[in-house]
Formats: sequence, structure tokens, C-alpha cells
Amino acid sequence: MSGIRTALVWDPAVTAYRFRPDHPFNPKRLELTVSLIEALGLVDGERHRIVPPRPATDAELLRVHSAEYLEAVKRLSAPGADLSEAWRWGLGTDDTPVFPGMHEVTALVAGGSIRAAEMVMSGEVTRAFNVCGGLHHAHRDRASGFCVYSDLAAAIAWIREHHGARVMYVDYDAHHGDGVQGIFYEDPDVLTLSVHESGRYLFPGTGFVDELGEGDGYGYSLNLPLEPFTEDGSWISLYEKLLPEVAEAFRPDVIVLQNGCDGHAWDPLTHLRASTRLYEETVRITCEVADRLCGGRVVATGGGGYAVWKVVPRAWTLVWAGLSGQGVPKAVPREWLDRWQGESPDLLPETMRDGDDAFPPVPRRDEIEATNRRTLESLRRQALPLLRGWGLGF
Amino acid sequence: MLVKNRMTADPVAVRPSDTLADALRLTREHRIRHLPVVDGEALVGIVSDRDIRLAMPSPLTVADADRAAFLERTPVSEVMTREVETVGPYDPVEDAARQLCRRRVGALPVVDAHGRLLGIVTETDILHAFAEVVGAGGAASRLEVSLPDRPGELARALHILGEDLRLNITGLMVLPKPEGGRKTAIVHVATIDPREAIAALERAGCRVGWPSLEADLRKGMPS
Repeated sequence: MSGIRTALVWDPAVTAYRFRPDHPFNPKRLELTVSLIEALGLVDGERHRIVPPRPATDAELLRVHSAEYLEAVKRLSAPGADLSEAWRWGLGTDDTPVFPGMHEVTALVAGGSIRAAEMVMSGEVTRAFNVCGGLHHAHRDRASGFCVYSDLAAAIAWIREHHGARVMYVDYDAHHGDGVQGIFYEDPDVLTLSVHESGRYLFPGTGFVDELGEGDGYGYSLNLPLEPFTEDGSWISLYEKLLPEVAEAFRPDVIVLQNGCDGHAWDPLTHLRASTRLYEETVRITCEVADRLCGGRVVATGGGGYAVWKVVPRAWTLVWAGLSGQGVPKAVPREWLDRWQGESPDLLPETMRDGDDAFPPVPRRDEIEATNRRTLESLRRQALPLLRGWGLGF
Repeated sequence: MLVKNRMTADPVAVRPSDTLADALRLTREHRIRHLPVVDGEALVGIVSDRDIRLAMPSPLTVADADRAAFLERTPVSEVMTREVETVGPYDPVEDAARQLCRRRVGALPVVDAHGRLLGIVTETDILHAFAEVVGAGGAASRLEVSLPDRPGELARALHILGEDLRLNITGLMVLPKPEGGRKTAIVHVATIDPREAIAALERAGCRVGWPSLEADLRKGMPS
């Protein structure tokens, strides 16, 4: 689908979503990404515009969070708040510390994803990318893993409420999308599909194939856990097989895509071995499915990604280019390198895509790929009959 | 975790004088394999669907009608096990698990001090409890911590995680049978970023099991 309109949801105000100066969830990556997108001329103010987020309202947040939790986050956001009970809400931990103004900026991040959904569902744009969104670990009444409010669930609930559309949520962050899965676990109108590193060791320790949903939602939660050290080849081929089958069975009206880029080989928190190719290919495959089945509509967000300098800006620039149907040159623009190299602790890569020889080969590759294929078959065997059967109204 | 939290209370039961046909029907209706046998309130035996099938004449030599007649006329008391292994409601589930393993039975009736039947706990109940315990609670990273097998080492490791790094420990299991003078603790810590925890434990002399490409490259085998 060429010549489409797209929106990049962005305002520097969202960089206030910052826990501590040395915290791994570093908003610098957002600034670097948007600056790289601009340096490459991938926003033009016309067909491909930057659009500011708006704050999510309490009513919008209350569709996916409990009133007690919302109250607690507001109370803890005030300067000098009593933090002794913060742990009850998953806050005040090393992962998700409390910071002043937390409610306001988190509501702005959530509103950014709702804004993206509004524009896509109204037809104003075909696809939108809220680069600061993707907080997939936030639960109904608990913060977790750097995530306070679930912008993803809020956007999905907004789509359900205002358009009654069927939503397919796809998450390929290296960590399981447990928050979003949990919030829609019993909902047959929201399908969640998470592809991630196995929770055998990695946080949050969930996302196994047998988590298929509950009640009316049974068969509408799908999980493809990958072996540690999975590389592009295996990852992309599994996704390319699974996504069209799931989408054809479910028939979504819109796809919500979480683009956490912590599955990259240089990410310090996980053990997956993807290159930049994963981001281009995943977006390409997803947009092809969206073009074929749901008018091209994709609401995209960021997510995890802790190789702040070397990976995130390039990965998300490739995501944006794929969503908006624009080409990306081989080289990282000199002006961008000159602007940021001085601040970067690492030598910045000079090519937009990782070379084929960027990473040493992984031992046990055959075994890892065979195990991943077995996992995919197990998921297809369990989930597809449920989806297909119920899709036909049996 | 006590047996009473895991048992099925008021289980389906039969009397000694009920027929095998009655008993078999109950196991099918309720999709269960074990029936306690009670006389009044007192437990007097247990019968499994397997006991019944083993007692039946072979279909190779006896006609179906005769086999059905056998079931209709034989009372439960003739095939039931009278020496029943039981547990009490306030026994810990690990006692029940140990008895199931040692006695090689599939279910244990739960009785009070007077031998009155209160419930039944099966190997499936124990398996569910086990899955919950090893799954631990809440979002966490899972560390396999190998420690010297001496008093104080586990406490030291937990102190590092809980006190020094203020991490919430949401699951803890110590594997029995130390090998090579070391024991292994599986610790679930509620953090998405366990790098500091792993480094601190290793500085303190623990070995931490965590996927490692370097280890893979060294050994050419699973980490």
C-alpha cells in the first residue's frame, strides 16, 4: 500500500517518563529515534506527519485499570508522598520507582497510543506509531517491569468502545506481553499474540504455549516462546508462517503492534540474537496482512529496547519507514552521527542495517531452530482449531 | 499448604454392599478413578476403577452378558482394599505426596481422628499444587543459584537479593541432594533487570544459572 498517510505520535514532553538518571528505561532513545527519522527526511509534515499526544482521561484509563490503582498512582505522584505502601501497587521498586509527575506523564504516554488509535480508526491515517508507548507489563491494578499505565490496553479498549472493532494485538518484544494478555484474557474480541524469549529464565516468567485464554476468551491468547539465542532466520520464518494463519482465522479490523526491540543481539537484558532485519521483516509481514485483511490499519508502539544508542534509534526508524512505506538508505546520516557521537558511550553504527557478519555465529543453532519449530507446531495444534472452529460459528 | 486446602471435600463414595456396576457407573459419571468405601460415616476401604476391571472375567473367554451380570451381583466389599492409606486434613501436602509415592497409590482418603471420611486427595491434586509452587507468584526473573552446601550460604545469598538490592523474592526452592559440595536454589526475583543481582551473587561466590552464550561457546552444549 504505497502513498498512504501515516502519523508519528511524538512530543518531547513524553521524555519526562523517566525513573532515574541511571535507569535502563531511558527516554534518550526516543529523542535519538525521532532525530534519526527527521535526519532521514522520513516525516514531511504532509503525508507523514508528527502529531502530538494528548493525555488519556481518567475514564479511558479506568477501562483497563482499577479505580484503586489509579488513585494510588495519583497519590504517589505528588511530591513528598508516603511511599511505604507503594510496593502493593508494584511501585517504588528498583524496576519501577516512583517519580514526581508520574501520573501526568504516564497518562500522556497512554493518551499517545489512544491518539494513534483515533487517527487510524477515523481513517485520517492508515497507520500511526506512538514511539513512546508499548508499556506491555502494566496490569489492571499493578505496575511492573518499567510500566505504570497500559497505553496498549487503553488504546485497545478505546477501539472496542468507540468502533466495536476486533483487535489483534501482536507483541514481539523480547519479554512476554503479560499485562496486555492478562487484561484481555477472557475477551474473545481481542486476540493477543506474543512472541518472546521463553520465560524459563527471563522476566516475567510467563507466556508459555498453554496460556490460551480463559472463559469466552479461550483460544484468543497466543504465545510463541522462543529459545534463548534465537536468530533472525528462525524468528522471521516462524512469524511469517504463524501471523497470516492466525489473522485469517480471527479476521481482525485493526492490528495493534508492539515493537519492543530488546530482542536484538546487542540488547543487555535478554538473550535473543536478532539483527535489524527482524524489525523490517516483522513490520513488512504485519503490514501485508493488515493490507489484505483490515484496510491496512496498524496502530504501532515502541516497547522495550535497552541498547539505547546502538540499536533502538535504527530499529524504530526502520519500523517507522516500514509502516509508512518509505525507503531507508544504507548509511546512517553523517549529521546524525556528528550530533550524537560525542554523547554516546559506544561507537555508533554507521549503517542503518546490521551486516551479515555483525554477530558471531550461535552454537547449537540447529537445536535452537528445531526446538522453536516444535514450539510453533505445538501452538498451532492447540490454538488454530479453537480459532478456526469458533470463527465459523460452531 | 495443608491437605484440607487441596483435597476434594465430601467425595463421591460407595457402601460395601453396593455393586461393582454401581461403582463403575459412578467413576464414569464423575470422571474419577477412586471411590472411598464407607460404612455409615466410617471409612472401611477404597476401590479404584482398575480394581474393578481387574476383577472382571476376561472378555476373551466370557460373554458380555455374563460380564455385566458379574458386575451386577458382586458387592464392592469383595474387591475393595481394606488396608487403606489415609491422611489427616491438617497434614502438610508434602506428607500426602510422600505417601502417594511410597505406597504407589493414586489417591488418599482424608479422615478425621475418628476415622470419618472428610475428603480425598489424588495425585492430580498434588501435581497441581506442585505446578503452582514451582511456578511461584508474580512476574519475575528465575535464577538458578548454586551455593556451597554449608550453613549460612543460602541466607547470605538471600540477604544480597533481599536486603542489599531490595528485590522482592517471589519464589524459592532448594533442590535436595547437593552434588560436589554445592546445592542449588531456584530463586524468583521480581525484576526485569537481574544483571546487578547476578553480578553481586557471583562476587559472593555463587554460580548463577542464566542463559549464557559465552558458556555455550565454551562447552558447545546447553547452558
